[in-house]
Amino acid sequence: MTRGLLVRGIDVAFGGVAALAGAGIEVRPGRVSGLIGRNGSGKSTLFNCITGFVVPVKGQVMLDGVDITRRAPHQIVREGIARTFQTPRVDFRMTVREAVLCGTYATVAHGFIASALKLPRARLAERNCARATDELLDRMGLAHEAGRPLATLSMGRLRMVDVARALAAGARYLLLDEPAAGISREEQVTLAREVRKLAASGIGVLLVEHNFSLIRQLCDRITVLDGGRVLLEGDTESVMGDERVVLAYLGTRHGEEPPS
Amino acid sequence: MIRRLPRNSLVMAVIALVICSLAPLKASWLDFAVMAGIFSLISLSAGLSYGQAGILSMAQGAFAAVGAYVTAFFGTRLGWPTLPVLALALILPALLAYCVARGVTRMAPLATALASLALANLVEIIAKSWDSVTGGYIGIAGIAPVPGFARPALFNILVWSFVVIAIIVYESVMQSAHGRALNVVRHDRTRAIADGVAVAPLLSSMLALSAAMAGAAGWLYVHYVTYISPQSLDTGVSISALLMAVVGGASYILGPVLGTVLLSLLVKFLPAAEAQGLFYGGALVIILVVARNGILGGLERFRPRSDKERAPHVPHVPAEARATSSAPSQHEEPKREAVPLSSEPGAP
Amino acid sequence: MIEYILRGLLNGAVYALLALPMSLLFSTAGTIDFAVGGYALLAAAVASTVSGPLGLAAGLAAGVAASAIMALVFALLKRAGEAGIRIALASFGLSVALSSFVLLVWGTQPFVRSTYSTFLEVFGLRVSPQGLINLVIALVLVGGVQLLLLRTGLGRMLRAAAASPLAAELAGIAVLPLQCATVLAGGLLSGVAGLLIVYSSGLDFTASLSLTFIGFAAAIVFGIKSPIRSLLGGFAIGIIEALSAGYTSGLVTAMVPAVCILVFLIAAQLLAPNYTGDRP
Repeated sequence: MTRGLLVRGIDVAFGGVAALAGAGIEVRPGRVSGLIGRNGSGKSTLFNCITGFVVPVKGQVMLDGVDITRRAPHQIVREGIARTFQTPRVDFRMTVREAVLCGTYATVAHGFIASALKLPRARLAERNCARATDELLDRMGLAHEAGRPLATLSMGRLRMVDVARALAAGARYLLLDEPAAGISREEQVTLAREVRKLAASGIGVLLVEHNFSLIRQLCDRITVLDGGRVLLEGDTESVMGDERVVLAYLGTRHGEEPPS
Repeated sequence: MIRRLPRNSLVMAVIALVICSLAPLKASWLDFAVMAGIFSLISLSAGLSYGQAGILSMAQGAFAAVGAYVTAFFGTRLGWPTLPVLALALILPALLAYCVARGVTRMAPLATALASLALANLVEIIAKSWDSVTGGYIGIAGIAPVPGFARPALFNILVWSFVVIAIIVYESVMQSAHGRALNVVRHDRTRAIADGVAVAPLLSSMLALSAAMAGAAGWLYVHYVTYISPQSLDTGVSISALLMAVVGGASYILGPVLGTVLLSLLVKFLPAAEAQGLFYGGALVIILVVARNGILGGLERFRPRSDKERAPHVPHVPAEARATSSAPSQHEEPKREAVPLSSEPGAP
Repeated sequence: MIEYILRGLLNGAVYALLALPMSLLFSTAGTIDFAVGGYALLAAAVASTVSGPLGLAAGLAAGVAASAIMALVFALLKRAGEAGIRIALASFGLSVALSSFVLLVWGTQPFVRSTYSTFLEVFGLRVSPQGLINLVIALVLVGGVQLLLLRTGLGRMLRAAAASPLAAELAGIAVLPLQCATVLAGGLLSGVAGLLIVYSSGLDFTASLSLTFIGFAAAIVFGIKSPIRSLLGGFAIGIIEALSAGYTSGLVTAMVPAVCILVFLIAAQLLAPNYTGDRP
């Protein structure tokens, strides 16, 4: 059984417009894979395919050898793939601890009735969730802010809470959706450090980003999307140095011919 | 957050104790207390489904009616013993609610409300025509009181014990992982899905729980009034229950009980019985315009922020929470309605 | 059987008049006015008390007055940023209040007047003259609304508001007054429906919710995209009901609106895409 999140041959069309054609990406445990491309290149669509919010017409999403392509989004979370959001989707009245605690729902195995009747199995699960939340808060350096309402946090800290919430679901693969957008330099440093720690602990990370310095720092391999297709895939050095990537991002100067 | 005091349950227990001590002093008080208790269960049912699950269900009266007819049929007509009949009165409405809810929870809220109204209408029609089981238009009479609880004062204690138990279960759910998930669903479904929440089963479970409460109310009702007919627990009851829940504060656990007791008291002062609809309807409109979170919602504005077991439908983040300057400018409205693509009913 | 269909068609004309305000309001404001049946009931009650043409005018005025209350509530709630469901709940409260008001003032008496005691014979089929009048009035009104929507400036504004309230607002269209006007139009149209019913089968204080129900069923059968669809929907429900009354029991007939609503709501959901909600 091959360990890893393997996405191959994805075709997605929205009303006759092909958003993705033969797209794919690989995320291995303990490695960071980057996904870059212009706006409109299909990054979000590929992201949504992996997380189950969009069902591809063709192609497969394989998780550790199991085909999860057509599973419901909430099931995919329970399988071990968690994501963060580019725009924080939070109830700003919640505290940091409450938000991360919400993420533990994916690990809850007991049913509604067990909760309603406060059965021992439910009580045990609640204690475990509380403990897991506290451990995560410590690990991610959020413990000192645990009681603060989310409305008082900066974007960078909100992103860390989002990551913690995704990890609380017991994720083995973490999908980060432009985590560096809108955060300060220091917060980027913190972010990079945390992502490296996560990868070192064995979690596979898929990083969708526009911030090239972060990509260079963190990613082992990079996939470049352009117009719904994979333009290039390879290790960081060769991809970042490739002319085609620069061209795909910036386009040609007016009147210039693109290189053959 | 886990090992919190079940505050609402304790408060409810105290209230129930007070009511059960005072009510036996006068026969009319006793009658009022019993009916208020039974109705509290139905409005709790409405409050739970609307306030927490966001499902505006007009069918709570119908669920109570199902519980009542089950009691009358299996208990009186077939002569089954009390406890199995009670079990059925709880389970059958819950099952019905769960199945219907699984079919409708992906619909837009308006569509769900209409579907529930249609369901209530069907239940009423079936009650009127299934003569062999429900006694048709006339209904079933001669239901014996609950063995051991024939005396009104004792029955009153039974009724309010049911209310306390209902609150305990309600609070257990809201303080659990499922309750937290429910709050997230109400705020942002996509966020909930990303947390691993299976939305439809969760909402349907809540509706099933609410239907079980209504069924219990039906069981109690039929044992007290000793007969059931299609007019006893009809759409009017659903509306009043919803109204009482909204007036008290639908998203607060104790809101429906407060609303029921208050409005039942006020109704006593009406000049004519026919004016009840006018009172309830008018009160509903007024409360929706003036105090959208009900009485408990209005009171909360005068209390420091402390409660976490409910999430009221407040459209804006309170100013005191948005203190830090580095808070991002893209605060979303906490109260979001997911924009459903299927909001247009009928064939596209 | 043709006779049943014809009768259903004529009944359906009135249902169309109840369906039209529903579909208009849902398109323009994204909410349902449950009080539509109540407006019809009030109009019917007033008109049958004050007889003659003055009664008709008074009835319509009463219907519109009741819908004016709803329009005010609607405006208040919309300004407070409320979602369609709470506005629908308010309209439900109004519906209950109207029924109770009618009960209080008029008691349980039925409101019915008949002017034609004989049936006409058309191609060997018995047709009620009042039914034909209903049909003509319904056609005129539906046609009028259709023309209004498609040919006039007001109609264009309404359609713009329906397509996207925000965009319309930005384009300078006063969306809220338009939506309120739609509520008032609902009062007028349902009022007419109520009057027609008084002269046809009659109704009593319990009719409010069932009329709303039928109106909604007729509105969703073919969708809410245009007034013509409401007309066809009204005919469809009328015909289904008449056929059911002719061939099955009263029980099944009574269930027609509710079953239609459930069937169409569930069918619409099945046809809708799997994932509803905003894009993550």
